[in-house]
Amino acid sequence: MKTPLPQQLVNDDASLIRREVFTSTEIYQWEKQFIFARSWLFLAHESQIPNPGDYITTYMCETPVIVARGEDKKIHVSLNSCSHRGLPVCRADRGNAKRFICPYHNWSYTVEGALHTVPQEKKLTAPVDKTCLGLKQVPRINSYCGLIFGSFNEEIESLHDYLGDMRWYLDCMFDRYNSGVEVIGSAHKWRINANWKLPVENQLGDVGHGPYLHGSLLKGTPQVDELETFGFNVVPKPGHGLALRLMPENSPVEKCMWGTDGMAAMDKEVNQYLIEKHREVEERLGKVRGRMKCLTYGVYPNFSFLWGNNTIRITHPRGPSQIEYWSWWVVEKNAPDYIKRKLRENYTFFFGPGGVLEQEDAEAWSQQHKGSAIDFMDSTPLYYGLGAGDEQKHTEIPGLTGSCFNELYAREFYKKWRSDIEKGLHAQGLQK
Amino acid sequence: MNSELIMKVNPFYYREARLLDERCYQQWLALLSDKIEYTVPARHVAQLDNAKRETEAFLNREQEFSNQLLENGMEPPIRDEKYLHLMIRVMRSLKMIAWTENPPARTRRFVSNIEIVSEKENTIDVYSNTLLYYSRHEHDNYLYSYQRQDVLEKQPTDFRLLKRVVLLDNVVINSPSAGLFF
Repeated sequence: MKTPLPQQLVNDDASLIRREVFTSTEIYQWEKQFIFARSWLFLAHESQIPNPGDYITTYMCETPVIVARGEDKKIHVSLNSCSHRGLPVCRADRGNAKRFICPYHNWSYTVEGALHTVPQEKKLTAPVDKTCLGLKQVPRINSYCGLIFGSFNEEIESLHDYLGDMRWYLDCMFDRYNSGVEVIGSAHKWRINANWKLPVENQLGDVGHGPYLHGSLLKGTPQVDELETFGFNVVPKPGHGLALRLMPENSPVEKCMWGTDGMAAMDKEVNQYLIEKHREVEERLGKVRGRMKCLTYGVYPNFSFLWGNNTIRITHPRGPSQIEYWSWWVVEKNAPDYIKRKLRENYTFFFGPGGVLEQEDAEAWSQQHKGSAIDFMDSTPLYYGLGAGDEQKHTEIPGLTGSCFNELYAREFYKKWRSDIEKGLHAQGLQK
Repeated sequence: MNSELIMKVNPFYYREARLLDERCYQQWLALLSDKIEYTVPARHVAQLDNAKRETEAFLNREQEFSNQLLENGMEPPIRDEKYLHLMIRVMRSLKMIAWTENPPARTRRFVSNIEIVSEKENTIDVYSNTLLYYSRHEHDNYLYSYQRQDVLEKQPTDFRLLKRVVLLDNVVINSPSAGLFF
């Protein structure tokens, strides 16, 4: 059966999404070519590779890469595949190395990705031109607030412009403290049988599901009341999104600090820490952002951040029907160990592969994927129209905003998604 | 090793596994000390240390958990829980709208290789292996394989679980949740 055109998959206001968007192998190939190969993709946080030789291995969509700090102290991103026979040259999740060595014939590469040694070379009479046999480099690399992004698209706009007004919101966490933030430990990784866009759209601003899917823990809590009163979702630039609570002016500090308030209330020291930090935050980010309690963030296409539980995450696609979800813990660098431990508990108990809330999200995404894969539903697309038309500009914060249950964040994502697929298909048509 | 002790430890583990497979979570809670420390460290593919080659330390598993097994380690485990957390999980599972427990999973825990590693006055250290088969909905089926490093507190007739460290054999967990009672 022929895959429908992008305008049939997502209607003009993106209130209706055809189900094969989440299941089709052909659409997934389009996404690889026209979205993942063309966008800025999140790779790592600079705190993970502070010293020359430090590296982590990760993926750009399904493509394995090494993100390393070179001897020149700059960040280098190489494809993890030997130029000779294609084997991975780096086989650990993280570490510090002088050389990456391919197991097969022991070709070795510098951490910057240059081919250093071909052991067979001295046994041959014909020379090997090593200069053009380095590891393939990711052509564009840039950082914002320590967040390292890479792109396969040499012509892509600057990361600064790509993020646009999302930067104003990213500052809230990544430029929040005088001492900065750090990512501690390896990523928690787990597989979910779901399409990659489902966790992404959840983190873009679907806070409305909280009291329902997570009702066993959240229903009837003051946090939910606060969310429904002061919460909304924001689209600073189509494709990116976030959800937050903007507390009214002159709210007491206890009502404004961070967003781990439910858990902080249980611990005096954390409570005190958050109050002190709130003063620092007002100084650094100003009064308006001092009243903002952010919830979830999404940067197009697959980087997410869950504010109140200190986790940054990447949705790595593994085909159209599975993801490998990666979640890292991020925390203020100079926070006392006791505070860090408490915030860590606030991450792992609720989120990550063992989290009581996260397990329910995984359930929803895999069940939505099941619902997208059934036959005879071509005329029954999924409905993304809640709140359409009531979104507006806000006087205090940048971007388009919608009420807590407005699905603006998802519509703007799928409009951008459709536009990227259309552009890609069009360009291919012209090439033919 | 004290064979009488093993004769008492084995039934404790078989009973625990049966209570969990039968979803008698409140009865399972009664097997825990109220001071329980329950952790599931995260594992990663570690870069081996050339300086340790030719020794068993070269292949030491602990490096795959980085500092999580140490008292003051700061890297985040997958789970780091006390009695309260486990109690919340149990209470939650009995609610109609706990969507990951309703309908409930069908599980089977195969506990083997039960080994008393050391015995102290009030406690014993016991290692065991577990294979957990998990089946939910129509055919969402997963396997979990792990070692448990437990500290059991001696009681007049049996034991209470004082500490459990669950060492999963996966780096990438191949199931949607590690929020089970392992």
